[in-house]
Amino acid sequence: MRDKSKPGPSETDSSVNYLDPKAQSRRDFLEGTGAAVVATAAASSLGVGVASAQESSRSARSAISLTVNGVDHSLEVDDRWTLVEVLRDQLDLTGTKIGCNRSECGACTVLMNGQPVYSCSQLAVWADGADVRTVEGLALNGQLSPLQQAFVDNNGPQCGFCTPGQLMTATALLQDNPSPTAAEVQSALVGNLCRCSNYNAIVEAVVAAGDQGGAA
Amino acid sequence: MSQANRRGLDPLSVIGNDTPRVDAIERVTGQAKFTRDWKLPGMLFARVLRSPHPHARIVSVDTSAAAALPGVVSIITHEDAQVVWGAGSINGGRQYNDPTKDATLHRRYIFNNPVRFVGDSVAAVAATDRHIAEQALALIEVEYEQLPFVLEPEEALADGAPQIWPEGNLAPDFRGNLEPMVSDQGDVEAGFDEADQIFETRYETGFIHNAQMEPRCSLASWEGDKLTLYTPSQGISNCRHDTARDLGLMDHQVRIVAQYMGGGFGNKNQNQDADLIAATLSRRAGAPVMLEYSRREDWLGVHGRWPTVQYYKVGVRDDGEITAIQMRAYSGMGPYRKNSGGISGMDYYRCPNRLREIHPVYTNRTTSGNFRAPSEPHGVYGVENMMDDIAYRMGIDPVEFTLQNVRRPTDDRPYTNYSLDEVIEEGAQQFNWSARRRSTPGSDEGPIKRGAGFSFMMFRAGLGTSSAIVRVDANEQYTLYVGVTDIGPGAKTTMGMIAAEALGVPLSQVDVVWGDTDRCPYSVGESGSRTTIMTGYAVVQAAEDLKEQIASRGMPSGAGVLIGSATPVPSTDGKVRQCFGAHFVEVEVDTRIGTTRILKYTTVHESGRIINPTTARDQIRGAVIQGIGQALHENLLYDPRSGQPLTPGYYRARHLTHMDIPEIEVTFIEVDDGYGPFGAKTAGESGIILAPAAVANAIANATGRRMTSLPITRDKILGAMA
Repeated sequence: MRDKSKPGPSETDSSVNYLDPKAQSRRDFLEGTGAAVVATAAASSLGVGVASAQESSRSARSAISLTVNGVDHSLEVDDRWTLVEVLRDQLDLTGTKIGCNRSECGACTVLMNGQPVYSCSQLAVWADGADVRTVEGLALNGQLSPLQQAFVDNNGPQCGFCTPGQLMTATALLQDNPSPTAAEVQSALVGNLCRCSNYNAIVEAVVAAGDQGGAA
Repeated sequence: MSQANRRGLDPLSVIGNDTPRVDAIERVTGQAKFTRDWKLPGMLFARVLRSPHPHARIVSVDTSAAAALPGVVSIITHEDAQVVWGAGSINGGRQYNDPTKDATLHRRYIFNNPVRFVGDSVAAVAATDRHIAEQALALIEVEYEQLPFVLEPEEALADGAPQIWPEGNLAPDFRGNLEPMVSDQGDVEAGFDEADQIFETRYETGFIHNAQMEPRCSLASWEGDKLTLYTPSQGISNCRHDTARDLGLMDHQVRIVAQYMGGGFGNKNQNQDADLIAATLSRRAGAPVMLEYSRREDWLGVHGRWPTVQYYKVGVRDDGEITAIQMRAYSGMGPYRKNSGGISGMDYYRCPNRLREIHPVYTNRTTSGNFRAPSEPHGVYGVENMMDDIAYRMGIDPVEFTLQNVRRPTDDRPYTNYSLDEVIEEGAQQFNWSARRRSTPGSDEGPIKRGAGFSFMMFRAGLGTSSAIVRVDANEQYTLYVGVTDIGPGAKTTMGMIAAEALGVPLSQVDVVWGDTDRCPYSVGESGSRTTIMTGYAVVQAAEDLKEQIASRGMPSGAGVLIGSATPVPSTDGKVRQCFGAHFVEVEVDTRIGTTRILKYTTVHESGRIINPTTARDQIRGAVIQGIGQALHENLLYDPRSGQPLTPGYYRARHLTHMDIPEIEVTFIEVDDGYGPFGAKTAGESGIILAPAAVANAIANATGRRMTSLPITRDKILGAMA
């Protein structure tokens, strides 16, 4: 199990290496959030919740501080809240989506200390002290990032539900590898599913963004 | 921008140009508001308790401990919330007709007793917090009396099978008739007598969950007797009507809001039980209620493509002429007949002697329903593998065998236009079919074998009624009101482009108001590939109405506006109107480990005039990739002893990821047949229809083994090669 007293997931996610397509598999990515995967998989059976039968509906709470899209926040969270719940429900950053809530689809991907993580599988308390970036933090002063513009130009979104997650993982890729090949993009984005199956267009958009100067 | 390959027509002013979505910025910045992104003051969160058993009678439900949990506001069960979900059991495809609810023999309620599949709804809880609602579910005590269950449709019809409904397991049609669906033309026995060779094969296909990225959810809010539902719906007008009918309201008492939604592919048609449960809880609690399904609940509690078993018998003369086609088939519907259970494809052939008998069968699996081209991909896989197999056995090129036997226009069955020969010939040439296919299947030396497969389709592009309103103000700014939602194909943009073209103005002068039944007129819904041709045609007619008004009265001034509207009832003058497509695919099969890799995938489609080439191209590419998943990976497996589902979820169903995706080549041959909006036809569903057939045919060509069961997973290939 993850040691809750250690802020951030960096010790596992620092192994992410986009330069070598073989270095990062989807399974590695999932195992990087191992503790949370186990917890939600056990709890999600037919929607039955995390708590065992008990009469109190209260959860223990903790005070955390984190930076989201450059803004510092100090807030008190239920220990059972995930990072994506805090982003969406407490900070009104609803751009980050919940597709599976169990580390399968990648719709909830955000950058945590620069690395893509599934925010459905990070407890909010683990984000104490972290620097988080969401899809709302990609455009600067109303100017789309080159990657966002490439998604507009290349029909990156169909329904758009997976788009924020695709954008965040691709942003991390472009920071490490400003001009990726199509194969490198496919490898990096393997943990972000798209059921519209707009995969060809997404890869074309990321490659085009690389040609135009990367994530910046 | 990468562009679709097109030939045949030049672009018009707006239509035919690659156009970014008008709402693209909302989609890439996180501003696009999906249902779960709405927040209303005092909103409660709801969860549903579901059956852990495949078939059981509920003896008792004790909610007292759950109700005592601080934060729990309302709990409903089958005992105190008997709401019929009309669209949940239609007994046969007439879901929009009011008498359906009376005719439905097997009513489906929002909570049912007995429960008939793992995931059937038992109770729902609204609480101040979603975690409290989940805690409350764990405190509900349900006593079940377990009943015998049956999972396979053929077993369900056998003597002594557990009876899921009192009338037996053959699902009645919408009139309540307990008969299979039979289509009988010519004399099939005479056709077999005429044949030189007769071929018989059994094919089967799996359950494919729609698996749209956004799980089912619904936010209900009442003001007096008026209900507002924020819900991801593929047809807000139909959703409003169904919801009003189920809750005993008038249509105007229900408002549906659905603008951005995270896909659906057919499982967000009509209204859903989530809408009715949220509305019921909200009314009881006196507060807005957001009901959220988990991914597993969505997988088991909504629906997916029906699994089928198809027995074919085909007679052929030595000259390659098909003389008779017979199919006896079984569609597993789950315990409620939510949709038709159809199996299409036989009708692509000219052969005059055809007998089709489809049994829609109740089982204790999760419910089956519409998925992108509901009746087609599994049927086309079956019949086109049958025909491909026959062609190779007779030493004929399957493309030639198809061109010899395919259905073509006749004097008594004319088409608006017919492009099947052209798409097949264009595809064969682009793909270099004669060089890539193995004339002797499985003839590659060594364990890694390559081969090529082909498939084709014809799909309805009929016209129909929808409505549109367009307004112009003194600044010459136009506002288009259309009751469409954007499930992904880009309907908002397409409708705006059609309006701009018809009005003769740039797209930037047209605002589109959409996705809200209180603001928009009737629209047919984002199902059946109908929005572009039906609502699009209404947009053209509304624009014509407005232009006539402007011509007679001049442009408005000051605070004045002019408003044009239309609800056309177009027809094809008795002609068949279809879109056409041909796919060619090359695969590489590693027969040592059973894996299949797609090396090349070429598609040629005729979908009339293409409105927005970018989004049309990605409809085809996305549909093909979904079809590859159906061919190779996806299925909802069950444990036959316990009746428990084994592969719900993306991971277990092995959905394709970025790493699995080949480049899909798309060519549109454009034609304007004089019907529909500027000649546009259907596109959204067409690409998936023929993809599983092409992949399976290619695997047979590579391995020399006909794979008669979808998905063609590694174990099946290894088994066939052993």
